[in-house]
Amino acid sequence: MEEIEHVEILLVEDNPLDAELSMRGLQSAKLFNRIIWLKDGQEALDYVYCRGAYAQRAAALPGLILLDLKMPRVDGLEVLATLKGDPETKSIPVVVMTSSQEEKDVVKSYDLGANSYVVKPVNFEDLTEVARQAGMYWLAINHRAGN
Amino acid sequence: MTTGIPVHSIRLKIMLVVLITTFFSLLIAGTAMMLNDWRQYRGFVATELATLANVVNRASAPALAFNDKKEAAENLALLEAAPAVKAAAIYTAKGELFASYAKRDGEEHIIPRLPGVEGLHEEGGRLSLYQRMVDNEEILGTLFIESSSDASHRLLASLGILLAVMVLSLLVAFLLSNRLQRSVTGPVLSVTEVARRVVDGRDFTLRAQKTSSDEIGFLVEAFNDMLAEIGKRAVALEASNQALAQEVSDRNAAQRALQVSERRNRVLVSASAAVTWLADEHGAWRSEHPQWEAYTGQSSQAYMGLGWRNAFHVDDRETMDLAWAQALAEGQAFEIEVRLWHQATRECRFVTLRAVASIDDNGKAMEWIGSISDIHDRRTAEEMARTLNRELEQRVTQRTAQLEEANRELESFSYSVSHDLRSPVRAVTGFSKILAQDASSTLSAEGLRLLGIIQSEAARMGALIDDLLTFSRLGRKAIQPTVLDMHGLAESTFSTLAAQHQGPVAELLLGTLPEVEGDRSLIAQVWSNLLSNALKFSAKRERPLIEIGSISEDDDYVFFVRDNGAGFDPRYKAKLFGVFQRLHDASDFAGTGVGLALVHRIITRHGGRVWADSVLDQGATFYFTLPKEFDHGRN
Repeated sequence: MEEIEHVEILLVEDNPLDAELSMRGLQSAKLFNRIIWLKDGQEALDYVYCRGAYAQRAAALPGLILLDLKMPRVDGLEVLATLKGDPETKSIPVVVMTSSQEEKDVVKSYDLGANSYVVKPVNFEDLTEVARQAGMYWLAINHRAGN
Repeated sequence: MTTGIPVHSIRLKIMLVVLITTFFSLLIAGTAMMLNDWRQYRGFVATELATLANVVNRASAPALAFNDKKEAAENLALLEAAPAVKAAAIYTAKGELFASYAKRDGEEHIIPRLPGVEGLHEEGGRLSLYQRMVDNEEILGTLFIESSSDASHRLLASLGILLAVMVLSLLVAFLLSNRLQRSVTGPVLSVTEVARRVVDGRDFTLRAQKTSSDEIGFLVEAFNDMLAEIGKRAVALEASNQALAQEVSDRNAAQRALQVSERRNRVLVSASAAVTWLADEHGAWRSEHPQWEAYTGQSSQAYMGLGWRNAFHVDDRETMDLAWAQALAEGQAFEIEVRLWHQATRECRFVTLRAVASIDDNGKAMEWIGSISDIHDRRTAEEMARTLNRELEQRVTQRTAQLEEANRELESFSYSVSHDLRSPVRAVTGFSKILAQDASSTLSAEGLRLLGIIQSEAARMGALIDDLLTFSRLGRKAIQPTVLDMHGLAESTFSTLAAQHQGPVAELLLGTLPEVEGDRSLIAQVWSNLLSNALKFSAKRERPLIEIGSISEDDDYVFFVRDNGAGFDPRYKAKLFGVFQRLHDASDFAGTGVGLALVHRIITRHGGRVWADSVLDQGATFYFTLPKEFDHGRN
């Protein structure tokens, strides 16, 4: 699991308290510095496609996206649909964060190509478990990270 | 009835016949006898007179011869002794009166002056005799004797006798006939009397009494036979009359029924068919149709023949012609709805045109009889009803859409609950946890206790929201029925719960449970909720017991879960299955109050019922039913 430390993780979350809790939860894995917090779907898409505020950043795809669903402007499902509909970005593992195990969201997210889901607030144990379930993507991520 | 004929007429007639017969018989016989007596008497008088004359002649002849007038007068005076001799005289040969005699009886007796012709003469009731007086062949003179030939006294005497005889005879005849005729008229009168009584009383059992064996006896017998026969006939006639009266009454009743029916038909015709019509075999009208004229305003010249067609709506004529053509070809009745011009309202109204063929022996239509019923109002009403129906359907669609919208809103609400309501709870839970981890050393004991309360209450809030979401989700979830082994399901659910349960685990008494059809995850939820309740509420007993069993009813299986736990106050059992209804203090028994509401919802959606029985502090029994035949059309 050492490789995870080098992975750039996007946390897309509009609620700052939830974001803080999630980041603290992930802190124990020393991932805190690798986490980029984005406040909504619009920002997330701008970041991935190097647009708007992120037009100047080095063009590199994030290794993992933790995506909240209910957000102002562009919501999580739209982000998911855009990324998974684009051959360039569809290989980015997307883990959907849900408030509960509300079936509708989970089912819809999987339909759109989400790789897994976690219940908020996200902590390191949950994330590791999700990574284990979706091992194939982590292999790819590891491979990319190795490069 | 009997007044016209005297009752005794026959008796009178017989009497009269007898008396008249007797009278005339006697009269004829008496008259004959009297005549005979009269004749004999006359002869006797003449003979007596001649004898007297002879005697006087012989005695007086000498006196005449000797011209002795005195002697002659004395001789004549001797005739005094003969009472019948009234007068006598002797004449000389020359015809001169010689001597005479006249009876001195107060009457005047005439002596003829000259002698008459010799012989007997009768004149005026007198008999006179002239006889020649002869002596030695020499005529001496003439003798005259006159006697009274009057027989009236004798006749009177005879008549008196005859009369007496007749009276006597008639009296005898009367008495005899009166007596004898009874034997004849008696039976006849008795027959008459019986006949009269029969006629009066119509009693044919009366019989005349037979008193003799002659023709009258025969008549009585014949009359009685006739009565018997008439009696029989009368009885038969009476029966026949009664039958006939019954038949007449029946026929009258039938006739009345027929009249009623006919009147009803007429009313029906006038009520149902505004216009009736008659057409020939080709559909042409040949007779007057005043009803038609009144309805359509068409004159008789206009509608005669096929002119009536023109009163129908132009657009409907083709339809009508087709129907007519087919009907004419097949001779079949038909009925179509068309629009007909109505003169009074000056508009075309919907009518039903009916036509029925009158068929001859060869099966060919002779004429067509039909009716026109105005159904315009009905049609209009139907149209209105259709419009209303359409509007209703629209409203139902609208309402359904609204309901669907409301459902969507509800879903959206529960979605919001799951996300937004959970978010602050999550923050409280998360940050208090961080506080407990990072600042536990700086907090006082009281501070830590308060932090613990914040954490547990936040956790409870999270549980409430979770349960509410589950309730909402399971309520909406489609039932996927499969055959469930209830025994296995209850047993495994209990095992899982017992493993998680903190504190003493109850002893399970599991009876035999049948297989039923239902949604596996939902029914598992039911067992889970009921059994976790049972575990929870029996946990404080020394020897907690849980019993699971089933009862088979007509259409349902009844399952029950019984524990020996805290129970509940039966007064509140109606509230038991409501959402967030709790009958126990949260400090005694933890819980959100959603579990039983969820059980109720799931079982109701399966077509079952839920109820519970308990006495406070003496355990509780929860029942639920599931139908033996699962209704797949329900969801």
